[in-house]
Amino acid sequence: MEPITTNGKAITEKKVFSRETAVSIDIEADKSILWALLTNASDYARWNSTVISIEGNIRAKESIVLKAKLDPKRAFKLKVLEFNPDSTLIWGDAMGKRVFTLKTIGNNLTNFTMREKIGGPIFPLFAKMIPSFDSSFEQFAKDLKNEAEIISKTK
Amino acid sequence: MNLEQLTKEFELAKPQLKSYLLRITASVEDVEDIMQDAFINASQKLDSFRGDSSVKTWIFTIASNLAKDNLRAQKRWPETVTDICREKALANPDYFNEIGTLMASSPQTQFEIKEHVTFCLTCISKTLPLEQQLCIFLKEIYEFKVSEIQEILQTTEAMVKYYLHTARTKMVNIFEGRCALINKAGTCHQCSELNGIFNPKQDFEIEKNKVEFAKKANDPDRSKLLDLRLNIMREIDPFTSNGAVLQLHHLAHNKLVMENFEEK
Repeated sequence: MEPITTNGKAITEKKVFSRETAVSIDIEADKSILWALLTNASDYARWNSTVISIEGNIRAKESIVLKAKLDPKRAFKLKVLEFNPDSTLIWGDAMGKRVFTLKTIGNNLTNFTMREKIGGPIFPLFAKMIPSFDSSFEQFAKDLKNEAEIISKTK
Repeated sequence: MNLEQLTKEFELAKPQLKSYLLRITASVEDVEDIMQDAFINASQKLDSFRGDSSVKTWIFTIASNLAKDNLRAQKRWPETVTDICREKALANPDYFNEIGTLMASSPQTQFEIKEHVTFCLTCISKTLPLEQQLCIFLKEIYEFKVSEIQEILQTTEAMVKYYLHTARTKMVNIFEGRCALINKAGTCHQCSELNGIFNPKQDFEIEKNKVEFAKKANDPDRSKLLDLRLNIMREIDPFTSNGAVLQLHHLAHNKLVMENFEEK
C-alpha cells in the first residue's frame, strides 16, 4: 500500500483477494487521551459518529460486539487481538482486522493511524457488496481528533 | 511531620473530607469508618510522607483509596435513580412518618431547593463510573488541581482530563433530559413536588428563580448550567446545612433502595 499522508483523507487499495483502507491524522493531544477514547467501549457512541455501539471490554483477548452506522443492521463479533497501551490496538475476525496505531511526534502531538484489511479466498464473490470505508474512516479520524483536542485543553 | 501535626492537618481537612466521602459513598456510616481508617493509615505511614504534595492532598489520597476499595464491589446507580427512589418512598408508609419525627427533633430539617439540587447532583453523580465521579468532585467541588487529582487517584494527567470531560458531558446530558428546572420537557419535578409538601405557602416559581441555573435555563451553553449547579454544591456542607438532617434521610433512603435494586 502506498504511504498515507496525515491529512485525515482515507486511501483504499483494492486487490483481487483483499481490500485495505487507511487513514492517518495528527492530533494535538497526549496519546494516552487517544488511548482512553479508543479503549472505552461504552463511551464510543458519545464521541464517534460512525459507531452505534460497542459492547464488551476492549482489553486483550476480550470479545466485543460492534454496531457501525455504515452497516447498522449487522453486529460484528470481534476479538481484541493486540492491546499495547498507548501504542497499538488490533481487533478483528476471520474476514479481516483493524489496526489502530498511536505515535508521539512532538510535545502533546500524536499521530493516529487506522487501517483495515479485509479479504480471503472467497473475497471476490462479495467484494462489491461491501461499501467503501473511506468516508467512515475519515469521519472516525475527525471525531477522534475533535474529542481528544477538547479533552487535552481541559484545565 | 509528627503525629501532632498530622492531627492538626486532619482536623483542618475534616469538613471537606467528610463532605467528599458522603457524596461518593452516600452513607454516613461509611464516612465515619473511612475517616477513622484514613487517620489510622496516615498515622502509620507518617514516614512515607515526603512533602511532595500538600498534607491535604495526601490525606485525600489515603481516604480516596479506602473509599474506592469500599465502592468497587457496589453497583453504580441508574440514571433513573430519583424516579425509582421516589416510587419507593411514596409506597413506604413509614417514610414521611420518619421525616415527621426528624422535624420534631432537629432544626436541620428545612427544605430548601438548593439543598435538594445538591442531593440530586449527588445521586446523579453515582451513575457515572467511579473514577469520573471522583474526578469531577475533586476538581469542581473540592477545588484540587489536575496535577493533585492525578496524585490522589494515582493516574495520569491525560486520564484525569478524560474522566473530567466525560463526567461533565454525561452529567450535562442527564440533566438536560431529566431536570425540569432547566428543560420544560424534563421528566423530573422532584424539587417542586417536595417544595410543595414541605413549604406549601411558597410560590415555587419565585423560589425557582432564586436558583441561578434555573434562572438561566435558556442559556444555550448547557455546560455553564452544570457549573452553576456545581457552584451550589460547593457552597453547601451536607453535614451542617439548614436541611442536613432531612437530606441525609433522603440519601440513606436512596442508598438502601439502590442496594436492593435489580436492573430489569
